[in-house]
Amino acid sequence: MPTIIEIDGLCKTYKGNRQPALDHLTLNVDEGDSFGLLGPNGAGKTTLMNIMCGLSKADSGSVSICGLDTVSEIDKIKHLIGVVPQSLALYPMLSAVENLRVFGGIYGMERRKVAERSEELLNTFGLWEHRNKLADKYSGGMKRSLNLIVGLLNSPKILFLDEPTVGIDVQTRRAIIDYLKLINNQGTTLIYTSHYLSEAEELCNNVALIDKGRIICNGKPASLTLQHSCGSLEELFLKTTETAINNA
Amino acid sequence: MRKFLSIIYKDYLFLTRDIAGLIFMFFMPIALVVLMAYLQDSTYNSVNESKIPLLLLNQDNDSLGCAIEKSVQQTGIFSITTELNGEPLTPDALQANVAEGNYLIGIVIPAETTKKIRRNIRGSVIHTFNPDFEPKQLEPNKISIFIDPTAKESFKTAITSSINEYAARLQTQIVMNEVVAAVNQQFPLNIGNFDIPTDIIKIDEQYARSNPSAIMPNSVQHNVPAWGLFAVFFIVISLANNIIKERDDGSYLRIKTMPCPTWLYFVGKISIYLIICLLQMAIMILMGIFVMPLLGLPQLELGHSIGALLLMSVSAAMAAIGYGTAIGTISTNSQQASIFGSVSVVILSAIGGIWIPTIIMPHAMQIISHISPLNWGLSGFYDIFVRDSGIALVLPESALLLAFGGVCLAITLIYNRQKCN
Repeated sequence: MPTIIEIDGLCKTYKGNRQPALDHLTLNVDEGDSFGLLGPNGAGKTTLMNIMCGLSKADSGSVSICGLDTVSEIDKIKHLIGVVPQSLALYPMLSAVENLRVFGGIYGMERRKVAERSEELLNTFGLWEHRNKLADKYSGGMKRSLNLIVGLLNSPKILFLDEPTVGIDVQTRRAIIDYLKLINNQGTTLIYTSHYLSEAEELCNNVALIDKGRIICNGKPASLTLQHSCGSLEELFLKTTETAINNA
Repeated sequence: MRKFLSIIYKDYLFLTRDIAGLIFMFFMPIALVVLMAYLQDSTYNSVNESKIPLLLLNQDNDSLGCAIEKSVQQTGIFSITTELNGEPLTPDALQANVAEGNYLIGIVIPAETTKKIRRNIRGSVIHTFNPDFEPKQLEPNKISIFIDPTAKESFKTAITSSINEYAARLQTQIVMNEVVAAVNQQFPLNIGNFDIPTDIIKIDEQYARSNPSAIMPNSVQHNVPAWGLFAVFFIVISLANNIIKERDDGSYLRIKTMPCPTWLYFVGKISIYLIICLLQMAIMILMGIFVMPLLGLPQLELGHSIGALLLMSVSAAMAAIGYGTAIGTISTNSQQASIFGSVSVVILSAIGGIWIPTIIMPHAMQIISHISPLNWGLSGFYDIFVRDSGIALVLPESALLLAFGGVCLAITLIYNRQKCN
């Protein structure tokens, strides 16, 4: 499969910090991958996601998505991607339908297309009956689902998911994972971060373990566990990042 | 266009669902404008319409006395009294009443003042043509002016100068008449009377700005634009909180991941708040035209330039929106924005002459008032309502307001960019 994301020597240090958030990070993601970015808190996953989505700028290095540079061609990239941030990113005082109408409009989608896509996604996640309820009145799981729906609204080529299933019940998590698998099979590239390693193992065909802004290891979960003589991704994670924590 | 309309749609929904915010934005200024205009009306009337009480005793009843009496009446600024309690005025009673502070000024023109002037001049003229003629001793002749000790020096000078001017004019006319009479007596030329034209030099007195009938705003001319501006600037709190709320609930972050430039996001926000500000101004003006007269207050006269009115309203709105956007972007939380926004607007409005007009402020405060955008706005609206000015004359105030709004928006965009980096 062709490479859809190319990250080359990416560096980022936040003001007032001596430790770089990203330290000459280089990584490639193939089209159609379901790619897991795994690592402990503060490893640099969210910083990397933010740079890829155009929310933040790197100090040096480059990122290209679908052959487009994330600095000079970010507007074109934004048409191709969908983002599901870790924290909820919704208008609580608007209903689900109004949220989708607003975000669809900001994507530049036609009103009719927004309505069709909203109905399809709200039905998929069981929110159609609650479409006119204010997002503020939704349960935690419903809010998470709606958060994901907004990211899926423009049928993105690449979907960035920053811990999309955090704090939700098992049923909703299952629905989300199943849908993500479905769209991945249909060709959508997923870039996914999570602390649920079993979930990552189930969803991702490729993972990269990040710590202190660097890639520790990168490859298919089964190959990595075999390579490091570990029984699971969780064991691999603990083994590779344990050293890093002890050295910190 | 679709993106722009979506941003407007979202802000429209926010605003219409915030009932408390709407009450704050529209009903608070309406209540303030009515209350303050009503409270201040009597104060403005006393400054604008009260006349200076003057006692006049004209015993001359000849040319000079009549000229002074007529001119004093024509000024329109004096309330003239010529008798006290139905009794004819006497010089002693006049002096006593001014001394007691019942009247600010008293003028006594003694009997035969004009005749004495004539006799004195005649003697001098005849002596000029006939040196053998010995004129009589000049008869003492004086006009007395009594002034309340509390009156300002400038006021005394103005009154004395005016009376001196009438006396000098009359003397000149009498001199010419006596010269003509003497020439006709000495030589067989028979010269006619020489009337001195009074308008050889015309003093063209006018107000520095267009309409000379406009002098000082009445309570409605002050309070309608003043509280309209206050309302417009008070949207700073709503706007700043709107921005912070979007930042806190993550929706702004999401918009940044979408193909929507930051400037378009702010243009959308500016547009909806601009409509609100213009609605606020329109409501305040309608209050001035239709509601104030029902309360016994003067009706607001709009002037003749609707263009100037629109320009000033848009400029004031842009200044307020720029300020609110900057506060919302720089503040770390809504509490900080609310406190800073409300306190700063109240201070700027106090300095700018919203609560108390700058004309009755101490000199130092009048100078300081020029730093307040609300003062620029108020000054522009005075130009329209009080001085009946057009677009050209409100351009400086409008430019200042737009520049202020522009600087605030530039700060917002630079701050946003730096944060992203």
